Amino acid sequence: MAKSLPQDLEATAGDTGLFKTFTASVLALLFGLGGLLYATEGGRAYTTETLRRTAVDRAPQSIPDLQLVDDSGRHLGLHAMLAGDGRVRIVDFIYTRCQTVCTSLASVTQRLQADILAQQLERRVAVLSISFDPEADDPPALKAYADRLRMDRSAWQVVSLAKPADRRRLLDAFGIMVVPAPFGEFEHNAALHIVDASGRLVRIVDVEAPGEALAAALAVGR
Amino acid sequence: MKAPGGALRSALALTVLVVSVALSLPPARRMIEQSMVWHMVVQMPLLLGAGWLLARTVSSASTWRWTADWNRYGLTGLLAAQVILAYWMLPSAIDRAVVSPQADMLKVMTLLACGALLQQSFRRAPAVLQLFVMGSAVPMTVWLGAYFATTDRRLCNAYTLASQSEAGIGIAIWGLAVAAVWLAVALWQAAQPVSRGAPTTTNAGAD
Repeated sequence: MAKSLPQDLEATAGDTGLFKTFTASVLALLFGLGGLLYATEGGRAYTTETLRRTAVDRAPQSIPDLQLVDDSGRHLGLHAMLAGDGRVRIVDFIYTRCQTVCTSLASVTQRLQADILAQQLERRVAVLSISFDPEADDPPALKAYADRLRMDRSAWQVVSLAKPADRRRLLDAFGIMVVPAPFGEFEHNAALHIVDASGRLVRIVDVEAPGEALAAALAVGR
Repeated sequence: MKAPGGALRSALALTVLVVSVALSLPPARRMIEQSMVWHMVVQMPLLLGAGWLLARTVSSASTWRWTADWNRYGLTGLLAAQVILAYWMLPSAIDRAVVSPQADMLKVMTLLACGALLQQSFRRAPAVLQLFVMGSAVPMTVWLGAYFATTDRRLCNAYTLASQSEAGIGIAIWGLAVAAVWLAVALWQAAQPVSRGAPTTTNAGAD
């Protein structure tokens, strides 16, 4: 290598080498920056979470009609439930054993419930908590969760999947990734999902901004 | 043509290649799916290293001679390598590599290529260009690592926050280690007697 190094440098003498290198460098930069801009929505989205929210903002996504079961053991289809009362739902994802992030998520949904009831919006908007752990979250577990959080059924419902096999479809439809964490817990991207009465996911709002979620839900329902 | 250590070098290059690629295949793939440390601190640097070592084992032949005109001063290669590295620093790209085998395949190919590009280009670059590359890449890597290590925000949906913090520390250490090695090699070379054109130079393995 020591022998070839100086030769390499000498071998490139001449103007064609400079021109070729200039052309190749410009192409590498153009393709590279183009690819980076494409992958980040023009430099706006660096995380999967932001990409997911931008995609929904651009085009609402239809959610499959999954079979659900509520805390009283009643089976119901998601689409029938949404179309039934025509309310816009603010959907969040939970598992009832959760001790960590979900406690703050739960306080957010509790606040949403309080706001909805205080402003008498329960005919237009409701919160829907869906469990992604259908094996563990049977109706009694859901009932215990609802009682623990003092859920008012007129503004907030909790459901689980009737068929555990639907779990993948549910998570993919909403773009949720669930990661096993220590002590049998899960970590997942938490957000508030606005779903309209025709079963379309129209907006994803940060959990830190329940007020914005409520405003977005009301804007959809109008 | 080959140096006496040629067989050893080839063996090392092959070993690093096999280990780094195997981490993308079952059953070892589970490691990078579950831990950001295995993914970003172990596998990705190993892929870069494998690309570098592979390029070095074949660089004694005239294999790369034709690229010289297209990569004068290593400019093209360094720019392309920077772009590849920038892409694989995106949390969304990391998520994609975990979820999709096609994206993971792209990661393996581009990082191997990136290692080879760096090996071919860095030694051709004049000191000022080397300084510019290191001066941008090292702070960027250390900053990214420090951000991953300290933020409360989960940047990758595929990994836990704890895993992200650990990986951040590892990434920052990698940035500092690369800077230290480059500095040591540069100083060591500067300390050697000027050997331009002298065939008996001693810094053969310095790159």
